[in-house]
Amino acid sequence: MSGPPAHGRAVVVTGLGVLGAVASGVRELTDALRSGRCALTAPAPPADADRPGVTWPAFTAELTSDEVPGRALDALPGLPEDLRSAARRTALRSPVPVRAAVVAALQAWLEAGLDRTAPPPGRIGVVVAGNNLTERVTEDGRARAERNPAYLPARYALHQQDTDHVATLSRVLGVRGEGCTVGGASASGNLALVHGARMLAAGAADVCLVVGAMTRLSPLQTRGYLTLGAMAPADGAPARPPAPFDRGHRGFHPGQAAACTVLETAASARARGARALAGLAGAAVVLDGNHLADPSVDGEVRAMEGALAQAGVSAADVGWVSSHGTGSPLGDRTEADALRKVFGTGDDGPWVNATKSLTGHCLSAAGVVEAVAAVLQLQAGFVHPDPGLRDPVDAGLRFTGDEPRRARGGFVLSNGFGFGGFNSAVVLAHPEA
Amino acid sequence: MNGSAESVPGTDSAEERVLAVLRRTTLEIVPEVDPALFTPDRTLSDLGCNSIDRAEIVTLAMEELDIAVPVHEFHQGMDLAALAAIMRKQL
Repeated sequence: MSGPPAHGRAVVVTGLGVLGAVASGVRELTDALRSGRCALTAPAPPADADRPGVTWPAFTAELTSDEVPGRALDALPGLPEDLRSAARRTALRSPVPVRAAVVAALQAWLEAGLDRTAPPPGRIGVVVAGNNLTERVTEDGRARAERNPAYLPARYALHQQDTDHVATLSRVLGVRGEGCTVGGASASGNLALVHGARMLAAGAADVCLVVGAMTRLSPLQTRGYLTLGAMAPADGAPARPPAPFDRGHRGFHPGQAAACTVLETAASARARGARALAGLAGAAVVLDGNHLADPSVDGEVRAMEGALAQAGVSAADVGWVSSHGTGSPLGDRTEADALRKVFGTGDDGPWVNATKSLTGHCLSAAGVVEAVAAVLQLQAGFVHPDPGLRDPVDAGLRFTGDEPRRARGGFVLSNGFGFGGFNSAVVLAHPEA
Repeated sequence: MNGSAESVPGTDSAEERVLAVLRRTTLEIVPEVDPALFTPDRTLSDLGCNSIDRAEIVTLAMEELDIAVPVHEFHQGMDLAALAAIMRKQL
């Protein structure tokens, strides 16, 4: 993907953005990561909580209100007035996740300096990570239409499409190159990074925004994950959320965030004078040949080893692993076993952390949120703590635990796995690595 | 309500109410519209609303008024007075 470092089509990251429960920008996210600040809280029980069979999530990390993206847009420093008004005019009518995506993308756009100097609009692409993003829109629309079909909101046909994210982002930013959504369940974020990097490597664009779409679960989707036992239920929950890989884990805790990385060819970044925050050194995506929620050590090992091979680095070069780590007992155990196979259990192995311990599981956006977090940690020189990890499921792996750690070398491996046997890993590199 | 629509000769209070609802939904969907331009002789297009905005405004207004106007009764280029009149018939 990146080719040799001197190659002009090597892929670098020149901008980052995030908007979610954990943080409203990258500086705030860096603070949360460094201090191990967890955005998860126990939600209020639903009105029908006493009804037999009713259950709800133990912990969630949700936006405090629907107004968060609009306020973050108003507060975004240095945003040119034409972009602010295009964002307001276009995204004001959009569902909350699309508004959040616009704000995260604008943050990244500004950091990359694309408001000052940018390739022609036809050389800029946008890839949105996620699938089945709009069930909440459909449930809200159905409630209105049940009174009378005439009351279905007129924008429903537009808003019920995942691609509404792509369209709205392209409108606000004036992007005219390639655009699409990329779906791979909870691996969507990494898959979108791979797709964006390939777009650049193939010469189809010079800049590609990769945007992780905020997953805002509908009541039915939430219930579906609870029914499968994938999401931790409120019933029997401890007072504080156990971190992934802790023996107290009982399933994932959903989190809401949108995130954006600006990927760019090294040549384009150099020509614009844009600073490379990191390099996207390699990646791999493999399937298990399995349609269930049943992860496999083999698939995860193949993804990690494939990403390392493409990056041209060995396991010993990896300073830390940003794990997929959701808090699912089976998922955590499987990933721990895969990490043992790839990295061994020596004292000099990589640190392992799980950003979902702080953000919750951002589902479609998770891979992009975690790539943003990884680049921030590479830049700041720490590996974030996971304070909820007290009793690890695997004593042979070097989990960060309570304290931020310092990683050797300049490479991080970020895992992303999804229901249905999606396995992916990306290698991010410090620009001087 | 944020204000009432301007009166025009021949309108009754029900039609005034419909115009007021249309005015408010218009400003909700397209906040950048200058409220002073909302007069019965103008069309929603005159106010800068695109076709999706127009459909959204009419849908919201019907929901608020608890009426359903058959789709074929709407025509392009109807001014706000004409729009209010066909909605008024369903009240």
